[in-house]
Order: sequence, then C-alpha cells, then structure tokens
Amino acid sequence: MNIFKPSFVLVAILVLFVFSMSVFTVDERELAIKFQFGEIVQSDFASGLHFKTPFVNNVEKYPSRILTLNNPQELFLTKEKKNLYVDFFVKWRIVDIDDYYNATQGDELVAAQRLLEQVKDGIRTEFAKRTVPEVVTAERRELMSDMLNDVKKNAKTLGIEVVDVRVKRLEFSDDVSDSVYRRMRQERARVASELRAEGSESAEQIRADAERQRTVLLAEAYRDAEILRGEGDAKAADIYARAYSKNPEFYAFYRSIAAYRRSLGNDSDLLVIDADSEFLRYLNQSGKK
Amino acid sequence: MAWNESGNGKNPWDNGRGNDSPPDLDKIVREWQQRINSMFGGPKKPAGNGDNQGGGAGGPLVALILIVVAGAWAFTGFYTVDNAERGISLRFGSYAGTTQPGLRWHVPWPIEEVLIVNVAGINKYNQQTRMLTADENIVEVDLVVQYLRSDPVALLFNVRDADGTLNDVSESAIREVIGQYSMDFVLLEGRAQIAQETKAVIQSALDEYGAGIVVTTVNLQDVNFPGQVEAAVQDAIKAREDKERLSFEAQSYANDIVPRARGEAARRLLDAEGYKEQVIADADGETSRFSQLLTEYEKAPKVTRDRLYIEAMESVYSNSSKVLLDAEGSGNMLYLPVDQLIKARGGAGASDGNPGNSGRSNTGGGGSVPQRSGASGSNQDSRSRGSR
Repeated sequence: MNIFKPSFVLVAILVLFVFSMSVFTVDERELAIKFQFGEIVQSDFASGLHFKTPFVNNVEKYPSRILTLNNPQELFLTKEKKNLYVDFFVKWRIVDIDDYYNATQGDELVAAQRLLEQVKDGIRTEFAKRTVPEVVTAERRELMSDMLNDVKKNAKTLGIEVVDVRVKRLEFSDDVSDSVYRRMRQERARVASELRAEGSESAEQIRADAERQRTVLLAEAYRDAEILRGEGDAKAADIYARAYSKNPEFYAFYRSIAAYRRSLGNDSDLLVIDADSEFLRYLNQSGKK
Repeated sequence: MAWNESGNGKNPWDNGRGNDSPPDLDKIVREWQQRINSMFGGPKKPAGNGDNQGGGAGGPLVALILIVVAGAWAFTGFYTVDNAERGISLRFGSYAGTTQPGLRWHVPWPIEEVLIVNVAGINKYNQQTRMLTADENIVEVDLVVQYLRSDPVALLFNVRDADGTLNDVSESAIREVIGQYSMDFVLLEGRAQIAQETKAVIQSALDEYGAGIVVTTVNLQDVNFPGQVEAAVQDAIKAREDKERLSFEAQSYANDIVPRARGEAARRLLDAEGYKEQVIADADGETSRFSQLLTEYEKAPKVTRDRLYIEAMESVYSNSSKVLLDAEGSGNMLYLPVDQLIKARGGAGASDGNPGNSGRSNTGGGGSVPQRSGASGSNQDSRSRGSR
C-alpha cells in the first residue's frame, strides 16, 4: 500500500491531533495544575512534558517567578500626623499552588489586590508608630522588616511568599514640602547672613588694628620728636649758659642793646627822652661830666 | 498507448522540447505522478484528462508536500548566538543547557526552544529625582546605575521582569541610603560613600531575588539643592564671596594707612632731629660770635662798651620820633599830646597813652613801645628762653 495515500496522511494527522491533546508542557517559568472536571487532581509538576486525558483533564498554568506588585503613590500618616506619600513595591511569588488557587481562583489580579491590602495595612501600622525622621532614616530597614514579618504570615494563607517589600518613593505632601523648602531657604539665608557678618567682623578688626598701629606709630614718633627737640634745646641752653657765664654783665649789656635795636628802632615809635640820658650827655656840654 | 499518441511519436519527456505550443502543465504533473507511481510498483492506469486520479496518484504529491514542510520545519531550528550572548535552551519547557556563541541548531518547536540573552553588554539605568535626607531636607539626586546580566539562567527563570526589578530596586536603594545622612554630608563629602553603599544595597537585593544581575557601577552624577531653594543657595554662595571681599577690602585699607603712618612718623623724627641740629648750631654760632667779641672787649672794655652803646642808640633814635624833655628845668606840668603826635607821625602801632607825664623818664626810653614781631618769631622766643 502506498503509505503516502492522502487518506493515510489524514489518519496520521488525526492521530497527531489526539496526541497533542493528551500532552502538555510545563515551562521552567510556570506552575501547572491539572484539573478533572474542575477539581484539582495534581499540582506538583516538574518542568518538561506531561500527559493528561483529553477532554477529561484541563491544565491551568501560573507564573512561578518572582512577580512585582507596584503600588503608586498613597498617603500614610506618621506618628506626628504628618502625611507622607509612599510609593512601594512588593516582590512575591506563588509557593503553594493549591492554596493559591483556592484563595484566588488563579486570578493574578485578585491575588495582587488581597496582597496589597495586607501590605498596606502593615505599612499603615508601622508608619503610625514612628515619626518622620525615624521613617526616613535608620529605622527604615527595621520598619520594613517588622512589617514584612506580619505580611509574610498573612500571605501564607494565599499560598504566596512575600520576598520583599520596598519603598520606592517617600515624599511629603505638597504643603509640607513647601514648608520644608521654606525652612531650607531660611537656613541658607541664615548661613548667608552669618557669613556676611563674619566678613564684617574680620574687616572691622583689620581696620581697627591698622588704625591702632597708626596711632601708636604717630604717638611714638611725636614722643621721640619731642625728646629730640628737648635734647636740642637743652644742649643749646648749656652752650649759651657756658658761653655767657664768662661775663654775665657784658652779656646783659650786649644782649640789651641788641634788643633795643630791634624793638625800639621803628618808624612808628615815639620816644619821650629825658635830656639827661647818657646818650645825650654831650648835647648840652662837651666836657666830661 | 495514450502517451504515444500525444506528440510526434516521441516519448512524453520530449513533449516540452519538441512542441511549438506552450507545455501543458496538468499533463506534465499527471505524467510525473504516473512515473513515480510506476517506480513504486503501483498499477498502471491510463492517464486521461479529467480522469479521477484516486489515492494512488495523489500519494506522491502529498509525499512531496510533506518533505518540503519537514524541511522548512527543520530549518527553523537554526539560530546564531553572538559573542556577547548566550542561548538558553528549553526542551518541552524544561531547562536543557546553555549554548555558546556561534551558529547552532536546535530541535524545532514545540520540542525545543532557545532564548537568547545578552550577558556582556553593560546596561544603564538613569534616574533623577528628589528625596529626603536624615534631617528632613530635600535634595535632588541624579543617579546612574550600570549593570550586566551575568547569569542568564537565573535571570530568565527567577524573576519575571529583571530590568524592571533593577530599576525599582535602584530607586528604593538610593532613597534608603540618602535617608541615612544629613543634607550637608550628602551634598559635600558623601557622594562616593553613598554610591558605594547604594551599590551594595542594590546588589544584595538582587542576589536575594536571584535575579542574575550584577551591578558594575553606581554613580551619583549630580547631587543638588532642589530648584525651589536655588535662589537662597546662590545667595549663600554670594555671601561667602562677600565675606572674602570685605576682608580683602579691609586688608587693602590697612596696607594703605600703616605704611603711610610709618612715613609720617619718620618724617616727624627727622624734623625733630633737624630742629635739634639747628638749635645747637644756632647756639654754637651765637655763642661763638659773643665769645669772640668778649675776647676783644676784655682787651679794651670801656672803649668797646661805649662804642657799642653809642652805635646802638644811634640806630634806635634815628628811626623813631622823639620828644626831648629838659625835666630839671621846670617843675611845671608839661602838656604832651602823645596821641596827636603819634597820629601826626602816622604810626600804626597801639599805644597805652601817657598824657601829662611829668617827672623823669628812665634811660632807654619812656612811652610805650609797640611790640613788633620779628621775622623769626619762634626762634627768638626759644632763644630768649634759652638765654635766661
């Protein structure tokens, strides 16, 4: 018989078709459940090729990898009643496929919702216990791990393992942000005025010191100048005294007539003279008196 | 025989060549079929137009089709792996090995499948956002994370979106690290340290997830005040410059007046020294003049004295107005209009008036003597002070 008869080929195709309905693959990235008329029959499949009864069994597949649940900005209140916008993500994966199916009917969205509620609750509780600095800084890791423990426990009932929860963004609400910016501006302004004041202070000091130096220099110079002048005066006086002491009487005469010359010999002077004066002694007579 | 009748008596294969008219395709196919049929020992049936070919005649065609399809299917098993890539092959969905670069072949789908992953190329994630510091300040950070996909198996099988995961984790990590430190530290000295810590945080999270990604570098390209505070920041910078400028200006001032003062001081000292020299020299001069005169005087005192006296008096009396009194003669009151005399003389000096002076007036002058300051007033003063 010709094995390539179309009819034979048709039969072969039919056989292949039936065969394909009775096998299924499970990828490394998947978890599979085999149902029989809606009931779970088997769920612990390794990756590879497996068999099922066509029309009696059907297979549903779910992701086995770590999935990400991103929650956009949401407000949480801290201990001091300050609002913080928190943008967080959850890393989770299915570990117990039976529980997961029972809890969510295999709907990833449903699972995500339920998980999100639990995580949000956890975050809300932990935030309400802490102040903003505590949330933002060192305690952040503690906050997360505290919250994680509770969430992990709860997620188990969903057949889910919560691998990690992390905060992506942590921001103040707008009005608080504004007041933070205001505070930062003020702080910068304070720094600015402090700097300027320091500048003035050191400038004043420099100027004052310079002026002090100037005053001292001039005063000392004045003092030394006066000393010199005094020395000069003293020496001159000594010279005069010594010289004139040789003949004090003659000096008195000599100095007096010089004085008379200078002080009395001016045009505008009027002298009323007694004819008896020595200068005029020869005026009335020529002989010796 | 039918085929013998078709042409000019030649065999069916020459149909196409010997004929002037275009070859009849149907005929050719049918004839081929029958030839194959006969090769396989099938019953010889007459080939006629419109004859029902039946299963036997269709078999070879199907075989042809099957061969072609099988070949095409097999052809889809070829793939290339670049130097920077690796191929992850899955058999029925199960991991079957990693393939190295080159031209490869796998059993085509649905039996085997190969996923290609680039393992050597450096990928970049860049983000620029604001975040809170430990002291509740806000800073703007420009973050760059470079990574490569080191373990393609882990990357494909452990995490659903490895690149997205890295982005999320990076964003979270930088916030976590910046949140530990004060704003000043972050803006000034802390950049390198923060980058290091961020890298460590990201890597540990990725390792925890088994994402198969290795972070090569983390870089804080820019860390800055947010825009809302920019003006105040600029002013603070300007204030620092102002501070320097004020100090500088004061220093210039100081550098100006102190040397000037020194100059002034030196000048005063030099003036005083000059004065001292001058005074002493004057004294030496004057006393020398006097001493020399004294020597001569002592040789002939009376004559020298008289001479000096008369010469002096001559010069005194010659220039001034005089009124001679012969006092011994009369005991009467003498009318002497001194002020009129002065006026007549045209003198400018002040007088304290001495009307009606009877009696003797001393030698050397009566009346009032106006004080005229000489040319060298202060010198005279000091000289007269010194000479007493």
